[in-house]
Amino acid sequence: MNVRRWAALTRRELLKIARNPAAIGTSLTLPVLYLILFGQGFNFTSSLNYLPPPERVAALNALVLGAPDYFSYFAAGMVGFVSVTATLFVGANVIFDKLFGTLKRTAASPATATDIFGSRLVAGSIQPVLLALLVLGLAILLGHVGLSGLHVTATVGLVGVGEILLSIVLLSLMFASLFLSLGFVIDQPQTYFALVNAINLPVLLTSAALYPWGAMPAWLQGIASYNPITLTVEVLRINFFGDAFYPHPAWVYLLGLIGWFAATFTIATLLTRRALAPKV
Amino acid sequence: MPDAIRAEGLTKVFNGTTKAVDGISFSVGEGEIFGFLGPNGAGKTTTLSMLTAVLGPTAGRATVDGLDVFRNPHELKQRIGLVFQESTADQDLTGRENLELAAALFGVPLREAPKRVDYLLDRLALSDSADRLVKTFSGGMRRRLELAVGIIHSPRVLFLDEPTLGLDPQGRAGFWKIISELRSEHGLTVFVTTHYLEEADGMCDRISIIDHGRIVATGTPSELKDRIGGDVVTVRPVGNAPGLEAALKAVPSVTSVAFQDGAFRVKCPSGEVVIPKAVGAASALGIPLAGVSLRRPSLDEVFLEFTGREYREDEGPTATDRAVFLSRFQDARRGRR
Repeated sequence: MNVRRWAALTRRELLKIARNPAAIGTSLTLPVLYLILFGQGFNFTSSLNYLPPPERVAALNALVLGAPDYFSYFAAGMVGFVSVTATLFVGANVIFDKLFGTLKRTAASPATATDIFGSRLVAGSIQPVLLALLVLGLAILLGHVGLSGLHVTATVGLVGVGEILLSIVLLSLMFASLFLSLGFVIDQPQTYFALVNAINLPVLLTSAALYPWGAMPAWLQGIASYNPITLTVEVLRINFFGDAFYPHPAWVYLLGLIGWFAATFTIATLLTRRALAPKV
Repeated sequence: MPDAIRAEGLTKVFNGTTKAVDGISFSVGEGEIFGFLGPNGAGKTTTLSMLTAVLGPTAGRATVDGLDVFRNPHELKQRIGLVFQESTADQDLTGRENLELAAALFGVPLREAPKRVDYLLDRLALSDSADRLVKTFSGGMRRRLELAVGIIHSPRVLFLDEPTLGLDPQGRAGFWKIISELRSEHGLTVFVTTHYLEEADGMCDRISIIDHGRIVATGTPSELKDRIGGDVVTVRPVGNAPGLEAALKAVPSVTSVAFQDGAFRVKCPSGEVVIPKAVGAASALGIPLAGVSLRRPSLDEVFLEFTGREYREDEGPTATDRAVFLSRFQDARRGRR
């Protein structure tokens, strides 16, 4: 690995992102719509207000694991959602760079596969991390303009902030690795987007990002427990609402995320090296 | 003159069946401009890709600047410059940013890099547009930027793959002027693939003609033309021409007669002298002629001589076609017309 090459390639990726505000706007549109429309319309826990407080709290704890309402629970889930959707394009960019010859030019230089993959991984993870933080900020803000918003009921200390950031970064790196490896292996944008769609929705729908945990059937809970999106949103929820209703402390979920990232990173670097090696 | 490039038995077979390059051997001396001439699909780019470690060979070996290409690909990439036939600069970056990126990738020392970038922008007449996005560049500007990227690290050997494809004659002349100057100033060795005959003729010290993956002739343009043995008179009969070949061979000063592509190719020291006699011979046999033409020795003739078919610069879809298609595709993707 060469730091100067890595930095130069990362700068290139960031310049391209910065010069494409439409893509940033598009990435933000979907989570914002979810927060403003789906989150508001589906905030079903307000319908539990008729219950006496002890029963209401018990119902909330069973359904949304200590969150004060569904929207707060769901807002943490949106962070996972953003980490997937905002990394989709990192692989597509590799395919377009292949089509337009830019990747060929880079591969013909002394830059190694590690330089090329690593710079794209770093640049490709910055956007989802920033978007995730924007989504969190917006979710909190909504609560102050008369709409349902994210209400943090626990005290988030420095360690908590670190855990939250680390979980978001790991999830972004994991999905960026996955989609980058697909981009290096696949040559046609159509094939890439078909495959990404085939991955994207099942991964999201087998996670605890959107569903109230207590409403999920046991078999789905079993699958969701290992889903990396679930691992991330549970780190957030533990820090936002306390860990009383979670079987493990936050660091266990972080370890799970590290495992996911290590697996996708290893596979991705192998595939990238193979894709960038001289064709025999 | 020591060899800057040496290839021995270089072979490339794709998918186990398609032999793109078939055991070619050649050498290029230091400071030489060496042309690889052939129609599209002849194996030029595949050869260049192997020499630059972009493609691995199926068989054979090659050295560039003393390095074994296939054992030291990483070191090789630092010593050579490569200009692709299509534009590979990042269109969403400016010309200057593309050069800065290339300087970092090729390890141009940090202090020297800005000076080197400015020097090349100036040298290649890109200073005024240096801070414009490459997608706003004209074809000629993109070619010059490709060259600047290719030589940012002052390579010892420069590989050019159809470098002037899509340029107008003025742009091509300008491009070659810069290459000649670089060769004179820095002793640069240049390996160029081209399917423009006049370019190979005018710019290269030596040429190899490649067809169907095999080198059919190598030499200086003059040597190759001398092998034709003088002028070529093409006598094209209407239909069958029994006895005409023998009659043409009997014409004084004719050195050889060959029948190719429906016409007799008559070699002779002076075509003007032979034409009336050839027409007379056909007339005496009662054979009507569709046409008679005279060609001075040229690389077209050399190609025909060694491959047995006419040279056509427009065989198959060209890289320009692909570049135009990709450019339009990119515009469409961005929602522009």
